Amino acid sequence: MARQQTDHAPSHFPSRTLVLDNGAHTLKAGIASPDSRPDKCHTVPNCIARSHRDKRTYIGPELTAECDDFGELAFRRPVEKGYIVNWESEKAIWERSILDKKAPRDLQCEPQETTLVLSEPPSAPAQLQRNADEMVFEEFGFAGYARVLAPALSSYAPSPFASTAQSPSGLPLECLLVVDAGHSHTTTTPLYHGRPLHGSIRRLEVGGKTLTNQMKELISRTFDVHREDWLVGEIKEDVCYVSQAFNADLERVWKGGRHDPRRPDASVVVDYVLPDYETIKRGFARPHDPSVNLRNRALGIGTEGGRREHILTIGNERFVVPELLFTPSDIGLPQAGLPSTILQSIHSLPASLHQAFLANIVVTGGTSKISGFLERLEAELRSMVDSDMLVRVARAEDPVRNAWLGGARLAQSREAMEKVTVTRRDYLENGEGWVRRVFAGKTGR
Amino acid sequence: MASGPLRFRTPHIEELATAQSRQTPGFAWVAVSGGQGDPAKNWGTSNRKRQRTSLGGQTEQQKEALSARQQREIERKIRDLSSDNSKDARELPIPKRDGSSSGGGGAARPGKTTNTKRILASGKTFAHYLDDEEAEIIRTGRRDVDLEAPTQSAAQRPSKTPLHRRKVRENSAASVTPEPTTASSRPPPKLQTAQSSSGPEVVEVPVDSLADESLRLPTEAELEALLNAPPLTYNEARSAPPSSGAPAPRRFCETCGYWGRVRCMKCGSMVCSVTCKDDHDQFKCLKMYA
Ligand SMILES: [Zn+2]
Ligand SMILES: [Zn+2]
Repeated sequence: MARQQTDHAPSHFPSRTLVLDNGAHTLKAGIASPDSRPDKCHTVPNCIARSHRDKRTYIGPELTAECDDFGELAFRRPVEKGYIVNWESEKAIWERSILDKKAPRDLQCEPQETTLVLSEPPSAPAQLQRNADEMVFEEFGFAGYARVLAPALSSYAPSPFASTAQSPSGLPLECLLVVDAGHSHTTTTPLYHGRPLHGSIRRLEVGGKTLTNQMKELISRTFDVHREDWLVGEIKEDVCYVSQAFNADLERVWKGGRHDPRRPDASVVVDYVLPDYETIKRGFARPHDPSVNLRNRALGIGTEGGRREHILTIGNERFVVPELLFTPSDIGLPQAGLPSTILQSIHSLPASLHQAFLANIVVTGGTSKISGFLERLEAELRSMVDSDMLVRVARAEDPVRNAWLGGARLAQSREAMEKVTVTRRDYLENGEGWVRRVFAGKTGR
Repeated sequence: MASGPLRFRTPHIEELATAQSRQTPGFAWVAVSGGQGDPAKNWGTSNRKRQRTSLGGQTEQQKEALSARQQREIERKIRDLSSDNSKDARELPIPKRDGSSSGGGGAARPGKTTNTKRILASGKTFAHYLDDEEAEIIRTGRRDVDLEAPTQSAAQRPSKTPLHRRKVRENSAASVTPEPTTASSRPPPKLQTAQSSSGPEVVEVPVDSLADESLRLPTEAELEALLNAPPLTYNEARSAPPSSGAPAPRRFCETCGYWGRVRCMKCGSMVCSVTCKDDHDQFKCLKMYA
């Protein structure tokens, strides 16, 4: 073991660190540098998409760079439930995004001279961790490797609380509860000095994809969008909001009964102009106009420049869909809503720690960008805990790239990196079981 | 507040005056249940009793069949909503690109070592991995990741780690209870405290400071124990159902999304009004049989 220690001597550490937050929807990748800013991070679709229209298959970054028509795309995703399950497709995407000649210049790296910091969601099955470790060392041949919980990376990102003193790069925040509202699910992770309190991590199985799929179902009641994953994802991003008064909002948009018709509130209902991927590249919402003749619009009569407009009217779907984060029972999911899930995490800790975590809740992940999310979360939490408790909830400045940014800042501290990194030589000498124990914090170093 | 009832900001649906099984052909007027009852006990197929009281004008067998079918329908829907891949896209072939070693075509299977060949060729889904892990926990009582490092390496370690830390880690790892867990019975996460370990670092806490447990800060040893607690399994980490006393699940009109106030006796769908009922009868009903 003494020899072991010398392996961790700084000279054995590759100078380059690739930080890869491998999300189910997009992967966030960038080489860490002293001025690690979010704009050093590339956001790449983590999927293989097949177009039914041009019969092309797009791998990862090709989708945003080369595809013009996002209609009827079928998606194959290597990440399932947040974990890398299918390495055949993930390898193709990594190669196309990071490793091969077509990859952006500032991302290209020689794995033999690079340390990989790879994010992972909590509660991973051990076999999937083993697969990741073997692929990283045996297939890609990285010189160093740290597999870190994504929320733990987030604890190295700057604090979004204005009053909290900013810690220098490489130092985690002291007490932090990271709510990661991602594509697959939403996890709640309490961390103490950057170390996760494993027994208190919880997962609500509602994420961005649940919302997109539910949106698809609801819109398809009037207009079939079952094959339009991409479009519905954009509609969700454009129109959804979390209601602060669900019952009242639902009343406002009801059309009424046969004998007491009502006029739905025009401030909620929107007309969504669908993209045709020719003149309209991306759909957009505008206030609902009940006088619009849909047939004329579709024929290009009375539209801007005579273009054909296909319009989808969206009402209660705007807030009924994201409501699933707060009331999962609306689709029969037997799990508590997000505020209560957060309290399940906190209440599993000693009472004296409750306040510290309640006052330091940081929200990350793309789904947290939905308008009203933060306000509703804070208000519901506030109503659920004693009034003498301080509740503070903040959204990371860049919720999508927060874990990446944290990883890039972690990489600036050699001392912190040595604690979490395993070298290829460690792996060859000690085997994958030892490596997994290091990442689980079971083997001190 | 340790674990008070879930308080929703929204009141639950109130009963309509027209509730009591006024018969309309094909419909029963449904008494939308109030907030009483324990929803945690009503999940799954065990909510038949509640369903039974809320349906009028049908035989017991019809109601049982309907509610069982509805339950299957809900489970199918949740599966669909949680799906990661587009339908039939899981097997989408991956085209080869210049400068990459992936994709078919070559004589050799992709993968540089036996391990990675196996991983790359694996068609396993997440559900397979989860089943494998649960089976392993039942068989061996633990996950291999929970095993402590081989003893010789622990013994040979230069003592960089303070003794009391190592002690706690060994204790917490040794006490990983071989306790098979299933999705249905989720044990509360164990909090390893210094009091329950038998090592030399047991902290003696003066009796009077225990009077208010909530004010006593955790000792360093307790914190270390918390930090070294083994990760929960995938199934253990799942958010628990709403606490008892939470409002009953809300029902929505399946035509327009407003409150569901009327249940179709043929298929169990909810609608809000006569207008939506007409639409349902004309276009959507019996879809479940299709
Ligand atoms: Zn309706
Ligand atoms: Zn029906």
